[in-house]
Amino acid sequence: MRTKVTSLLILVMLLALPASSFAQEAAPAWLEETMFASGKINTVLIVVSVVLLGLGGWMFAMDMKLRNLERRLKK
Amino acid sequence: MRPAEISSLLALELRLDMRQRHALGGLLLYVVSAVYVCYLAVQKLVDVPVWNALFWIILLFAAFNALSRSFMREDGGRQLYLYTLVDPRSVILARTLYNALVMVVLSFLSLGFYILFLGGDALAKAEVGQFLLVTLLGGVGFAAVLTLISALAARAGNGLGLMAILGFPVVLPMLLTLMRASRNAIDGLPWEMNDKYVLWLLAIDALTVALAWLLYPYLWRD
Amino acid sequence: MRHWWWKVLCVLLLVYTAVVGLQTPLGPGLVHVDPARVDTGLVEIQLTGYATHFASCTSGNHVWFEKAGIAVCQPDIKAISDNTILVKVSPVHSTSPGMWSIVVDNATDGPLRLADAVYINSDGIAMTAAPCGMMTDNSSPSSFGPQFPNRSILNETIRNLFFHVPMWFSMIVLMGIAFVYSIMHLRSGSLDHDLAASIAVNVSLLFGALGIITGSIWARATWGGWWTSDTKLNGSALTLLMYLAYVILRGSVPDAHKRGRLAAVYNIFAFMLMLVFIMVLPRLTDSLHPGNGGNPAFSQYDLDDSLRAVFYPACAGWILLGIWAYNLRLRYGRLNALLDENESH
Repeated sequence: MRTKVTSLLILVMLLALPASSFAQEAAPAWLEETMFASGKINTVLIVVSVVLLGLGGWMFAMDMKLRNLERRLKK
Repeated sequence: MRPAEISSLLALELRLDMRQRHALGGLLLYVVSAVYVCYLAVQKLVDVPVWNALFWIILLFAAFNALSRSFMREDGGRQLYLYTLVDPRSVILARTLYNALVMVVLSFLSLGFYILFLGGDALAKAEVGQFLLVTLLGGVGFAAVLTLISALAARAGNGLGLMAILGFPVVLPMLLTLMRASRNAIDGLPWEMNDKYVLWLLAIDALTVALAWLLYPYLWRD
Repeated sequence: MRHWWWKVLCVLLLVYTAVVGLQTPLGPGLVHVDPARVDTGLVEIQLTGYATHFASCTSGNHVWFEKAGIAVCQPDIKAISDNTILVKVSPVHSTSPGMWSIVVDNATDGPLRLADAVYINSDGIAMTAAPCGMMTDNSSPSSFGPQFPNRSILNETIRNLFFHVPMWFSMIVLMGIAFVYSIMHLRSGSLDHDLAASIAVNVSLLFGALGIITGSIWARATWGGWWTSDTKLNGSALTLLMYLAYVILRGSVPDAHKRGRLAAVYNIFAFMLMLVFIMVLPRLTDSLHPGNGGNPAFSQYDLDDSLRAVFYPACAGWILLGIWAYNLRLRYGRLNALLDENESH
């Protein structure tokens, strides 16, 4: 199961690499405006949020793992 | 690990392959078909970067195809028998050497077919000696990097698929260096501008062979 | 000191990074020129600055255009606000067409330069080579405490230096831990060492993924593409592929001891080749990244003291966080393994 998910991930990555080079012309204007406003400060905010979201998601996954562990211990 | 052991293992490999000549023939056919498909697609290639890239991509896939069989034919019994007789390090060295020989022959054959079908116009300004040297190093290099990966994939019991997944990222540093060096050779740059790439290639070869030598004993134990 | 002192240090470093990294103001800089192309007859262009003091500075402004060592003073200027200035370009005739850099100079901000800012067509403007001369007291531009340099293209995103780059350091450190444990596993055959290695890879992939996503966003805002074919990007993508392959390899071998051995062998092989890759690749191609190739926006020697004062603590903090996450995950893994063992008895 896990292996399948990872293989899929690799496949998507490989497929996405060439595709993303086309993506740069097609960005919508609102995105441009959000990212570039006032000295591009929003880009920094997005980057910080991504990092926090990533770490938060990791904590959440960890939480689930520990819950499973506790459930097994109680048995 | 004695030279005599290695040479007798080499001879064994050769004899085994001669007994199954269709396997070697299959490899050759694979390369010829790949080149022919390219020929059907583009007829004649004059553009140097594309010519160069296509050549190396064909060689890369040929290498994957050739080396994935390297450890496949081992079934449990025969392997065990082999390993009671010789040092595992001799096995990996002999195999790497043998694969390098096969790959060098295969590289030059595919180069021949490639020029035959797609034209050698791209080589007009080339430093031919340099280019041939890089091709030689390419064959040896692919064999050096992929032999251990092939052993790994075979031991994991999951043939060509795993080999491609494991091998592709590992072979890439070498592939990029090769492409750059052969591009320089084709463009006819003097040796002084290309020697560092050749040295890098040699260094990567040496490193991978050393790693294979160190790590293989852990692979054959079950 | 208790055993958790480094965790406290990690939190303090990250708090410092967040506060100082986001709070320190950006120095003044030119960000925009409108229009960016001047043809015959077009006379007025508007320069936009960021954190500048065009109107409120005491000295008045000087504006000049520069190209290939020629400086041309533009006397007819009007500061509309602190961040905008209007330049009336006087149209005379005949200069070679091309990109000109623009410099705005006043005593508060110091000389601000926007390289290759405007394209001036031939027959465009007067080019009597005459620099305006520098403002007299430029030696001490504004003293508002520490400021981050305002580089063109980068602007505020220079702060990403503290939130994107350290992800890679964290990743590499965790991969190094995995490498060491793989060697130890081969020597000892202990499944615990294998567990430690696999978990280090696991957590390093988290940081790698964060690095690649944040990098992609940053690249979009500065270089204009989500993915550019850049040395470091390709290198990091390859590294991630290598370690995803490691995960796949683990998944495809059912027997624990065999899995450990095969994974350790691949990990050692891959880590060494990754190091080679990191060393070779920059020598093959130019890079947009600082320190490689021709990157005008931001290069190694531009990492000035104000940035360094945050960058180094940030790196230490994120690396410690990576180790902490690894530590938690490993303890969970060990408990899980213990439970598996008990259940099987």
